[in-house]
Amino acid sequence: MLQLFPVDQSLLQQILSLIFYGIFFLYLFFGQSIQTQRVLYSLSGALNKIKDARDKSTKELQTFLQKNGYKGDATPQIDKLIEYFTITPVSIDPAGLVKKIEHLLSVRDERVRYEVKKLLPEKDSVTTSIMENLLEISTTLNLYYKVVRHYYLVGKKTSNYYLLLQLQIILPDLLREVEALFSAVEPIKSGQPIGDGIGALVAGKLMLNSEKKPIARDTIFSEVPYKNRKLYVIKAEGPAANVGQPGNAIESLVNKYGVKPSTIIMIDAALKLEGEATGEVAEGVGAAIGGIGVDKYKIEEIASSMGIPLYAIIIKESIVEAITAMTKEIAEAASKVHSRLDALIESNTKEGDIIMVVGVGNTLGVGQ
Amino acid sequence: MSSKLFKSQKQFKVVTIEECGSCGLKMKRLFQPNDFIFKEGSNCQKCGSKTMMTSIYKEEISS
Repeated sequence: MLQLFPVDQSLLQQILSLIFYGIFFLYLFFGQSIQTQRVLYSLSGALNKIKDARDKSTKELQTFLQKNGYKGDATPQIDKLIEYFTITPVSIDPAGLVKKIEHLLSVRDERVRYEVKKLLPEKDSVTTSIMENLLEISTTLNLYYKVVRHYYLVGKKTSNYYLLLQLQIILPDLLREVEALFSAVEPIKSGQPIGDGIGALVAGKLMLNSEKKPIARDTIFSEVPYKNRKLYVIKAEGPAANVGQPGNAIESLVNKYGVKPSTIIMIDAALKLEGEATGEVAEGVGAAIGGIGVDKYKIEEIASSMGIPLYAIIIKESIVEAITAMTKEIAEAASKVHSRLDALIESNTKEGDIIMVVGVGNTLGVGQ
Repeated sequence: MSSKLFKSQKQFKVVTIEECGSCGLKMKRLFQPNDFIFKEGSNCQKCGSKTMMTSIYKEEISS
């Protein structure tokens, strides 16, 4: 004790030493509890933000419905729809898994489409597709909120610092996604093109003066003569908020209509890495398409089984830029993509060849 | 949707570019409901031909 508080120290020094040792022992025995409280405090703030985003997007959904002629309170229907879930198929025997996923997603899409049509029976496909997209945003935000709340409450109940810490570590990325989804409500509601639509924009321009024919659900194609070659240009049908089924479209053209392409070129928006510039265009090989993987699988299957070279042109953008109103940099990238496409066709194909050009992405606000 | 939920949310305006196929004049105006890319636009202010909406994008509002 004499060493801890030497008698030759002044009263002030002794008080400071006492405070120092007090804090030292407090942290020694209660450090983790204090840290847990700090993490809980920051998590509760983030949780409230996610809840606000979920509630506001759901309110926007109601406003959108009422603006489009829905009479009465749609809360029960919306609550039912945003809780709608899909059980992924069993994957312990992965053979045929893609087919099962495709079937389940198709059933889900049809079901949601039917429910939306019931809410807005008189409305056109553009309005109902916007409603479907808004519904998807609310459903995702609702899921994020409930999962974060679950881990927050479990961590709090069991005072599990490490569980809460893991949640805190992934929170910045999660909040960025929540922000992106929340920011997407306004442009989607207004029918504005989003960053993800750049692939559809490039394809739409190519098929401008050609006849458009349906080829798969929400998907169209055009035969376009191009420098003594024939392009089969595929995109989702705009200006509705559709992504279409590019996989089924290519499969139909090849298997049903006997089209034998010498090359497939896919154009899509791709997530950029931090530090990369928005609107930067890059070329590569492979199926440039997102989603759960059904379309990607089908396109890869056809390309590999028939030995067709598969090229990709991507336009780089962030997650926020991909689902919010298109930025000037992304819109201006369309002309760069056309130049790249032109060079790619010139250097990798010959006259008389058939080339499939697929504009991938949500075609909201983009016609053809 | 006007309230800011996230600090990084900036204020934007969305514009529509109408382009004349005859004289190449580009006209910029605020986005209107039902505008979409490749839709027929208004008459060209220079030559009177029909224009086409060739681009729709957002611009940051400088405060």
